[in-house]
Amino acid sequence: MKLILAIIRIAKMQETKMALQDAGLPSFTAMPVLGRGKGHGDLERAAKYAPEHVELISSVPRLKSKRMITLMVTDDKKDLAVETILKMNQTGESGDGKIFVIDSSDSVHIRTGEKGDITLD
Amino acid sequence: MYLLRAIVRPEKSPIVMNALLNAGFPAVTKLSVFGRGKQRGLKVGNVTYDELPKDLLMIVIPEKDKDFVIETIIESARSGDKGQFGDGKIFVTPVTETYTISSGKKEI
Repeated sequence: MKLILAIIRIAKMQETKMALQDAGLPSFTAMPVLGRGKGHGDLERAAKYAPEHVELISSVPRLKSKRMITLMVTDDKKDLAVETILKMNQTGESGDGKIFVIDSSDSVHIRTGEKGDITLD
Repeated sequence: MYLLRAIVRPEKSPIVMNALLNAGFPAVTKLSVFGRGKQRGLKVGNVTYDELPKDLLMIVIPEKDKDFVIETIIESARSGDKGQFGDGKIFVTPVTETYTISSGKKEI
């Protein structure tokens, strides 16, 4: 069982939701987060669209609003989930986000008390 | 790869993030959370506050940098020399795979 943490653009949430649903992975939890990455994005965009303002960009990366989606999947569905999220979120520019895969030992269905992979089907 | 989840005081989180930036670890995700610890919250007179606001900082780092980053967070998040109740916790979780979405590559 794997826990997938994906930090993505807010504007891509709808498409990601629909794609996950079509791939048979409808259940996930999303939350609003603030984050920063390596901090190349602002400078790259300024160099591309407004070269005269490059010296005004702060060298300290700013915090940007993102969505974090967390979903639990069985081991065999891990690649499907990662590929679906990758496909819907790739624009090729910095700021697209990250995906982390974490091993998880167990899950429990609260209503029925069931444990293990059966809770994720 | 390791995922560090540090629960710190909200007023300390800019200090911690600055310390991380200066140490060469700019990438951080921040959430506002509420929680309580071993002291069962905060008791002021007759009133008990059992959901105290904290900031949750999430950082993913390579194994070799783990101890250094943890040390950096502890030093910057602690209040005073000895620390106080409520300074927070750090949890470390192994991460098996990481992907950068923009390139699709399996690396940070």
